[in-house]
Amino acid sequence: MPHSPSFLTPTGPLLADYDFGEYYCEMFGRRTLPHTREICKRLNQMDMAALRRRARNAEKELFNLGITFTVYTDRDAIDRILPFDVIPRVLSPVDWKIIESGVKQRVAAINAFLHDVYHKQHILKDGIVPTDLIIGHEHYREEMRDVDVPHGTYVHICGTDIVRDEKGKFLVLEDNGRTPSGVSYVIENRHLMMRAFPDLADGFHIANVDSYGAQLARAMAAVAPIGVTDPTVVLLSPGVFNSAYFEHVYLAREMGAPLVEGQDLVVENDKVYMRTTNGLEPVHVIYRRINDDFLDPDAFRSESTLGVAGLFSAYRKGNVTLANAIGTGIADDKAVYAYMPRIIRYYLDEDPILDNVPTNICREPEGLAKTLANLDKLVTKPVGEAGGYGVVIGPRASKRELQELKTLLRSNPANYISQPMVNLSVCPTLIGRAIEPRHVDLRPFALTGDSTWVLSGGLSRVALRRGSLVVNSSQGGGSKDTWVLV
Amino acid sequence: MSSLLARFAGNMCWLGRYLERAENIARILHINETYGRDDPHGPEWRRVLRLYSDEKRFDSTHDEADAASVLGFYVIERDNPASIVSAIVAARENARSVRHLISTEMWTHLNIFSSQVRALSAKDLSLANLSVVATAVINGCQSFEGIAEGTFLRGEPWCFFQIGKYLERADQTTRILDISSDRLLLDKEDTVATVQWNLLLRSVSAYHAYRGRHPGLSGPHDIAAFLLYDTEFPRAVTLCVGRVTELLQDIEKRHGMRRGTKVEEARRSLEFSLDTGPGHELTPNSLHAFLDGLQVSLGRVSNVIGETYFR
Repeated sequence: MPHSPSFLTPTGPLLADYDFGEYYCEMFGRRTLPHTREICKRLNQMDMAALRRRARNAEKELFNLGITFTVYTDRDAIDRILPFDVIPRVLSPVDWKIIESGVKQRVAAINAFLHDVYHKQHILKDGIVPTDLIIGHEHYREEMRDVDVPHGTYVHICGTDIVRDEKGKFLVLEDNGRTPSGVSYVIENRHLMMRAFPDLADGFHIANVDSYGAQLARAMAAVAPIGVTDPTVVLLSPGVFNSAYFEHVYLAREMGAPLVEGQDLVVENDKVYMRTTNGLEPVHVIYRRINDDFLDPDAFRSESTLGVAGLFSAYRKGNVTLANAIGTGIADDKAVYAYMPRIIRYYLDEDPILDNVPTNICREPEGLAKTLANLDKLVTKPVGEAGGYGVVIGPRASKRELQELKTLLRSNPANYISQPMVNLSVCPTLIGRAIEPRHVDLRPFALTGDSTWVLSGGLSRVALRRGSLVVNSSQGGGSKDTWVLV
Repeated sequence: MSSLLARFAGNMCWLGRYLERAENIARILHINETYGRDDPHGPEWRRVLRLYSDEKRFDSTHDEADAASVLGFYVIERDNPASIVSAIVAARENARSVRHLISTEMWTHLNIFSSQVRALSAKDLSLANLSVVATAVINGCQSFEGIAEGTFLRGEPWCFFQIGKYLERADQTTRILDISSDRLLLDKEDTVATVQWNLLLRSVSAYHAYRGRHPGLSGPHDIAAFLLYDTEFPRAVTLCVGRVTELLQDIEKRHGMRRGTKVEEARRSLEFSLDTGPGHELTPNSLHAFLDGLQVSLGRVSNVIGETYFR
C-alpha cells in the first residue's frame, strides 16, 4: 500500500485504513498535501461513532429544513434529500486561482462565441467551427440572429463541470450554459457543515459562499433593458413539481425576487407584466429555469403551458431580459465542446487556462483515424445524446460492440467524439462504518452581468457507489461541502 | 416595491385557513368526546358529521358512524379533503408555493409538523388517546402562528395570511357554537347543561376569559353572546370580522387605490347579519338558523376576496 496515508499522518485511527490506490486524492494528493495536513489530523482524532452520529443528524436536518427534491408516485409525494457526505473537499489557494481564472476565460469565450454566431458568424466563415455543426443544431435559434442582448452577455449563469486526472490536473468535462443547477446545495452544504463540524473548520480561513444571492441580484440588475434604472427581477420556475424547486425557492429568496410561474406573467404590447393583488405590474429581467422550448408557446412549442405567450417578441424588442439568453444550448454541446480550446484562442488570443479532456473530433479525418485505431482504449460518445446514452467505454466493451461501433463511426463520423478514459480524482468519503475513496467532480458557478464573478468553490459531487465515475444524483451521487482555503 | 403576486395572496390566505381549520377540527373532535363522558351511550359522533354537512360523503364510504370511523375520517383519511391530515398537507403545499416569502422557521416547523401528522395511524386514535392527539394538533398549529408572529414581515403576505385565519376562525366558532345549540339551550337551570357549557368554553380556550366577564351565575345566552360579540376574545366572531376589516383596509392603503368595492359590499353585509342576531329570543332553532346565515355571509366575503385579489 505505497499510498496509504497512515504512515504519513500517524495521528489516529479514522483514516488509518484509507487507501486511494493509484488515484489522485483531493485530501492527500499523490502522498500528502501541506494545506490539508491540519484538517486530516483533526479528522483522524474523531471517532467513527461520533462521525456517524453527526452525519445522521446532518441528513435529518436536511429533511427538516425541506432541502429536498420531491419524487411523485400515484399515492404520495416522497421527499428525498441529495445525500450529503460530511468529509469536505478542500481546494488550496493555488488550485482555486487556476479554476477561477480558467472559468472566467471560458465564460468570456462562450459569450463572444454566442454573440458572433448570432451576428456576423466570423468563426464559421473562418472555418474554425464547422458551419453545419452550428446551423441546424437543435439548440441553434435562427430567431436570435441580430438580436442584441445587454452587455453581450448570453450566459449569465454558467456551471462548468471540472474533473481532476490522476496527476492532479484540472480538466473541463462539460460547460453548462443553459440552466445549470446545484448552487443552492453549495450554500446549504456549507451551513450544514458549519453547524455539524464547527471544530473541524475552526481556525481556518475558508472563502465564504454567502454572497451568491447578492451577486446574482447584481448581475440581473446589470443586464436590465436600457433605460430601466430600478428593474423588477423575477425568477421563472416550472413550479412546485419541478425537482429543482427547492433551488428556485432558495434563489428567489436570496435575490428578494418573486418566484413566478408562467401563469403569473402576461405580455401586452410587447411588454411583460406580472399579475399582482394590485393589478398588472411591469417585469424587466427574468431569471428563467425553463428551457427555451417551453418559454413561449407562440414562438416555440405551442403545447407548452409553462411559458408565457408573446414573451419572445417582448424579448426581441429589448423590453425584457432573459437569463440565460435564448439559444445558448449550442455552447453546451459535446461536439462544440471539442472546439472550445480553438474558440478560446480565436476570440481571446490566449491559451486555455483549463484544458479540455483531450478529444478526438471524428468529423475531422485525423480524429477519426485516431479513434478507429484506439477504439479499445477510448471512450466514444455520440454528440447528439445526453445522459450517457450510446457511450462506448473501450476497455470495458466486447469485441462485437467495438466492431459495431466501427461501422457506425465510418458511416456517420460527424456524430462522434472520442476521449481517453479519465481516472477521476477521489476524496475520502464516509461509507457505512468506513472511510473509502470515492470519485468526485466539481461544478463552479460563474455569474456574468457586465463582468464575471465566480462563487468560491462550487458543487462537489461524489459518486457514492464503489468504483463508479457517475456523480449524477439520479445515479447514486451525493455532494460534499467544498472548502477553498484563503 | 412591487405588489404581491396574486397567486401568492391566495396561497397565503389558504395557508392561514387550512391551519386554522386543522386546529378547529381537533377542538371539535375533542369537545365531542368530552360531551360524551356524561352520556351512558358515549359520544354522539354523527353530530360532528352534521356540523360540517359531511353526512352524505361519510355514509358513502363508511358503514357506521362510531368513534373509530368518524375519528379516522376527520383525522387521518387522505381521501377526505376535510380531514386534519388533508388540511395540514394542503397548508404545506400552499406554504411550498410561497416558501421564498415566509420565514425559514415557519417552513421548517410546518415541514416537521406535517410529517408528524402524516404519520398518524388508526391505532393512535383510540378514545383514550384522542386528547393527546388533539392537543398535539392544536399545539402544532398554534406554534406555527407564534413563529409567524415573531418572524414574519408585516407586509401584504402577512395581511392575506391573517385574513385567511380570521375568516376560518369566525366560521369555526359558529360551528363550535352550533354543535352545542341543540342540547344546551333548553334549560338554563340544568346543571348538566352548565357543565357542558363550561366544556364548550374550555374547548375554545374561552373559559377563564368568560369568567372574567361574567363572574356570577349566567346562562347559555350570555355564553353564546360572548362567543359571537366579544370584541376582545380572539376567537369571538365580532373580533375576527373586525380584524378582517382592518386587514382589508391595510391592503387598500398599501395599494393606494380602491379595488375592493365588491369586497366592501360583502363585508358590510356580513356585519349586518352579525348585528341582526336573534337577540334574547334564543332558541335552538333560531340560533342554528342565525349561525347558518353567518356562515353563508362569511363564505361570500371569502369568495369575493378571492375574485378581487387572487387572479
